[in-house]
Amino acid sequence: MTAIAGTKFLLWTIIVCGAIIVGVVQLSKSGKRIPKIRRIAGLDSIEEAIGRATEMGRPVHFTPGLSDVTAETAPQTFAALEILSYVTGLTAKYNTELIVTIRIPNVFPLAQEIVRQGYLAAGKADMFKEDTVRFLSSEQFAYAAGVMGIFHREKVASNIMMGAFWAESLLFAEAGAQIGAIQVAGTAAMAQIPFFVAACDYTLIGEELFAGGAYLSQDKVKLGSIAGQDLVKFTVMSFIVIGTLMSTWGNSALIEFMKK
Amino acid sequence: MRREIPLAITFVVGMTILMSYFFAGTIPGTAWNLKNLAGDITGWGVLVSAFAVLLASVNLVRIHGAAISRKRKGWYNSGILIATMVAFALVGILRKHNPANTGINDLFQNMFNNVLSPLGAAMFALLAFYIASASYRAFRARSLEASILLAAAVLVMLGRAPIGELMWGQFPVISKWLLDIPNMAGQRAIMIGAAIGGFATSMRILLGLERGHLGGE
Amino acid sequence: MNIFNKLQNIDRRVIYAILLVVLVIPLLRPIGIPLSVNETTKTIYNIIEDLDPATDVVLLSFDYSPGGSPDVHPQAVVIAEHLMRRGIKWVGVSFWDAGPMYAEQIMKYYEAQGAMYGVDFVNLGYMAGGETAIKNFGDNPRGAFSNDFRGNSIDSLPVMAGINNITDFAYTIDFVSGNPGFQEWVRQVQGPHGIKYGVGIVTVSVPQVMPFLQAGQVQGLLQGLRGAAEYEMLLGSPGAGAAKMDAQSMGHMVIILFILVGNVAFFMDKKKDKK
Repeated sequence: MTAIAGTKFLLWTIIVCGAIIVGVVQLSKSGKRIPKIRRIAGLDSIEEAIGRATEMGRPVHFTPGLSDVTAETAPQTFAALEILSYVTGLTAKYNTELIVTIRIPNVFPLAQEIVRQGYLAAGKADMFKEDTVRFLSSEQFAYAAGVMGIFHREKVASNIMMGAFWAESLLFAEAGAQIGAIQVAGTAAMAQIPFFVAACDYTLIGEELFAGGAYLSQDKVKLGSIAGQDLVKFTVMSFIVIGTLMSTWGNSALIEFMKK
Repeated sequence: MRREIPLAITFVVGMTILMSYFFAGTIPGTAWNLKNLAGDITGWGVLVSAFAVLLASVNLVRIHGAAISRKRKGWYNSGILIATMVAFALVGILRKHNPANTGINDLFQNMFNNVLSPLGAAMFALLAFYIASASYRAFRARSLEASILLAAAVLVMLGRAPIGELMWGQFPVISKWLLDIPNMAGQRAIMIGAAIGGFATSMRILLGLERGHLGGE
Repeated sequence: MNIFNKLQNIDRRVIYAILLVVLVIPLLRPIGIPLSVNETTKTIYNIIEDLDPATDVVLLSFDYSPGGSPDVHPQAVVIAEHLMRRGIKWVGVSFWDAGPMYAEQIMKYYEAQGAMYGVDFVNLGYMAGGETAIKNFGDNPRGAFSNDFRGNSIDSLPVMAGINNITDFAYTIDFVSGNPGFQEWVRQVQGPHGIKYGVGIVTVSVPQVMPFLQAGQVQGLLQGLRGAAEYEMLLGSPGAGAAKMDAQSMGHMVIILFILVGNVAFFMDKKKDKK
């Protein structure tokens, strides 16, 4: 087995960053240093959104975004599925109807299992129905049309949109606003963040989405990995500052080092 | 075991694909070529996806089949959905297996050009209307931040449309500056932050620390 | 409810109706508002102008869906027109299932004009697998497809004769409306193989390409429908893109007008409340 040229720096970056995250996770797991996570209004508002649907006796809609679990945007889908687990628990607690719509066939069995297990854990297995998790279409705008139709037909009271989105983001957010639904969105898809900010009540921006699982569960391991992630970010920021200064003074040593 | 097996598969498959990016040749002590193995795993992924499509289609047919049989409100829409799904699938399969058949090819191209394409374009066109209502509702100068957002939005819109350029030649210059400097700074910050967040999430999944997607936790 | 309150809460149907009228009129009777050409558009034009028709082959990746097509397809049409005018051979490929159908639309048009499929251009078709497929194609474009979209053996097509590696394409342009798209191409093909790579993208995603453009990983960018219109101007034949730009201009003005009305009413209302 031989190393492929030009990938050495990348490999070491992954090893070092991974080691930082695992190290901080271990510290947190042992209870020596449990990180505290700042308040994230968007995540706090999920309970408010479900509470409102409960008061109105109308359903909650959840979408885990439009990305596959094999794409570069997959972490967003996994983060969304973590939040779905929490949403299922809350809807089970309050006996509120949940509608989960799916675009990606690969995500469908995962979402179905999460919701089924969530209801089972809450002792409300009968709340899981065949149409709780619905595959609509793998075609982007056909899926968007399906979601908008559900908003209007089933008079959704709360709309929770987490994961990766593209041009359909505004269609969802505006259709939700039209029916007066309380809307919480979260995405790391940069081009869609402005649309969500403009049309939703609460928006999780970029990394906040990835912190969802840790924030909602307050699990020591997950909290540790978020703190580790921040340490990695500081390391990257140092590289950016040092690299910028070096390049400004005409020194390309760091660039050459990164190409190795 | 319900959790351990999927976690073990995730770790082995993830590490194999990751390592194939950095190393070439056979895995020490085996005759397995890393690149070929990663290629095979990707192929299996496509197979699993095909089964997922089947599972999802069954869900779609069952929900809409029930709507038809119980004559729910708007049941005929469910009928149209199932009929078009079957028609597109049939023509698509026939085209795939008879690429030289002009009749089937033309039928497929016509269905695409005259049904799927205009429907998709119509949905996309809705965005223009939704952007109008969303920006009218959201862009109010309620605070300093909202005012900056409002001013930037108006300047970029004027700079991007030819009429803005006609009104004042500097609108495109200002719009370009907004896109190239403040926008780029923000984009890069979110991009780097989200990439690190994505990396940490991937690490958690690979190491089995994040298990929410397996259900029940 | 006073007048200022009403102006802050105009019914969305009124906004939609006014916007519809304002968009339709210039489509039926174009005004002809002059259009300047962006540097990023000129870059693509200049690269294609510098190609050698005798030896160079261009790769066009059709990575868009029917939804994104109104913004992106005119770009593909105008680039194909430039290539055909210069007699440069081109290859179509797609990592979106709808992509090959758009390539076919363009190719059928030129076939009707006398161009030869397989000699002037070829449609390789769709390759499933998203980012993995893009990587596989970048690593081995010859081996990725055994037959083209029309069922011909790749080896029987003259246009593919000199193509063994991805670097054998003189220029690659990716027409894209989402993922997999330009980021996957940059990560898996442009970076590792160092190809000359340009992008045509939906307007809403333009800001996302900017960092890659500044870094030199993307050479040339068509920015939504406007990008197509600008290119039509460079070719000296205003077409579908240019015709729609007047409608876009008017649409932008209506949106700005509504934002202004909402804000003026908001301030007047606040002033009245203070009194």
